[in-house]
Amino acid sequence: MNITETSNGAIAIVAIEGRLDALSAPELRNNRSVIDPEKTVVLNLEKLDFMNSTGLGAIVGALNQKLQPDFGIVLSCMNDDVRSVFEITNVQKLFHIFDDTAAAVEFATTRQGAHT
Amino acid sequence: MKTILAFRESEYAWVHEKFPCVHPLLLPLCNKPFIEFLIDFAILAGSSAVRILCDGGLGEVERYCEDGSRWGIDLSYASIHPDDSIHAMLGKNRKFCGEERVMIVSGFSFIRYDKRYDYKSFVSSMPPGEWSTCPGGRITLTGVPTKAVPDWLIADLSLMPLDSMTSYYQASMETLKTGESRYVLPGYGDEPECAFGRNVVISKSVEIRKPVSIGNNVQLLGNAIIGPSAIIGSNVIIDRESSVESSIVFDNTYIGEHLEIIGRIASGNRLNDPKSGASIAMEDPHLLSGIKKNRHLRSLPRKIVHACVALVIIAAFFIPFIILWPLLKLGGHWKSSPASFLAERTDETMPLAKVEVDASGAAAAIAVALSLDRYFRLFRVVTGQLALIGSTPLLAGESRPDAPAYVPAYLPGVFSYAEAEEWAATGGDATIVERFHLAHSNPLTDIGLVIKAFINRFQEKSTI
Repeated sequence: MNITETSNGAIAIVAIEGRLDALSAPELRNNRSVIDPEKTVVLNLEKLDFMNSTGLGAIVGALNQKLQPDFGIVLSCMNDDVRSVFEITNVQKLFHIFDDTAAAVEFATTRQGAHT
Repeated sequence: MKTILAFRESEYAWVHEKFPCVHPLLLPLCNKPFIEFLIDFAILAGSSAVRILCDGGLGEVERYCEDGSRWGIDLSYASIHPDDSIHAMLGKNRKFCGEERVMIVSGFSFIRYDKRYDYKSFVSSMPPGEWSTCPGGRITLTGVPTKAVPDWLIADLSLMPLDSMTSYYQASMETLKTGESRYVLPGYGDEPECAFGRNVVISKSVEIRKPVSIGNNVQLLGNAIIGPSAIIGSNVIIDRESSVESSIVFDNTYIGEHLEIIGRIASGNRLNDPKSGASIAMEDPHLLSGIKKNRHLRSLPRKIVHACVALVIIAAFFIPFIILWPLLKLGGHWKSSPASFLAERTDETMPLAKVEVDASGAAAAIAVALSLDRYFRLFRVVTGQLALIGSTPLLAGESRPDAPAYVPAYLPGVFSYAEAEEWAATGGDATIVERFHLAHSNPLTDIGLVIKAFINRFQEKSTI
């Protein structure tokens, strides 16, 4: 799995590429922006080919660490296979999911601005 | 133009409660899933792509609708947050919407449209904003109109909330009555207000009173009266001298003999009154059949006959089994794994071995032809845990619409009635055949059906 991190103002954009499973989940869990409770992160899942329950656990765990669980982690560009993993566990309700990363960043920025 | 269809679980929670076997978006209205009416309307309005949004699971809907190629459109799916407004939905689907005009149909409501109107021209000329609303549902347009509204253009529609069983019943009956003139409905028929699906078997003495809509694989037995205003789903049997009037019968439902179903919704073993919303689950294996004498007492002769025949089969096949089984086991052609299956009584399970015989080779082919893979199960017949012939045993722990909790007509057997009658042993067809035989067979006919199942398996030499 490859993690590429960029930022847009106060928002971190973390792009995940490849497989998110038991082997690669610790890498996401230990990502500096992901573990920072105050940082709002947009997870770009466009190039995520596969995710299992451990990977899902890592994303939900990251959300639980955030001070703002409503928009601490925002997801974007999820493919159908990954979406079905979220739906099976009914976890999709916890996240705001966008089909466009720019729109996700815009949303996170607006929410953060309104909060501060 | 593009269309977004958006739903929230809270809007259709009542469907989960009343009709647990069907996904709310696939709830049949006049034998056509609800979501198909909305897709049809989106196509009439000129949409080239439709996205279905929901805060709940869409797995079953995806499996049914797939990518929309059946309708010649691009169909996609996405999740929404339960609190999302229309504006938020548009933002979350910005890539899908692009720069095009978007029609958003939100809420679990039925659109009363008319396929004869030119909605395409109408939608492209309407100003942005709300087009139509009802409690819990609305149609909204975004983007700039591409045409001017012609004065002569009429494209009327209204929304009807599907917020209870009463409104669902009304919408179904209204759809049946307005019929083909307004909507695209399934079924064939020479006469108006009379639509039949495939493989409908109608006995000569059956009386059909219009309007009716009948699904696929339906059996209407002697002197049954169907209609007026009857919607019969697929894989349904209406037994002798029963009548169905102003009612909806869901898929995979068995209506017993001498019954009157008037103004009701029958689904599996549940009977619903659409006016009061009351719903009861019938204890009897067959919906609404009269109170029968003690079930265990009734099943005793059958169990005795089955046990005796099983003993005969055990003795007859003992020698081939004792020769072939060790040979196949040692050669790796006989694979057996333990599994838990649903027992005859609801909520009880029983362990059974799942046997797979690799039928490559003469010994394996003989074993399969002689049904030796079922040999161990015959001992369960002697102990009364299995019938010799009955329903296909269902794996425990799987949520399925034909599970005994929903459809109590279930008697797990070594052989299934579907095998004896050469029905495809999958899907609702086999289930309904098995249920029919459970109601109509007796210990003697069971012996004949066991022989048929043996012969069919011998001819097929299939791997189980």
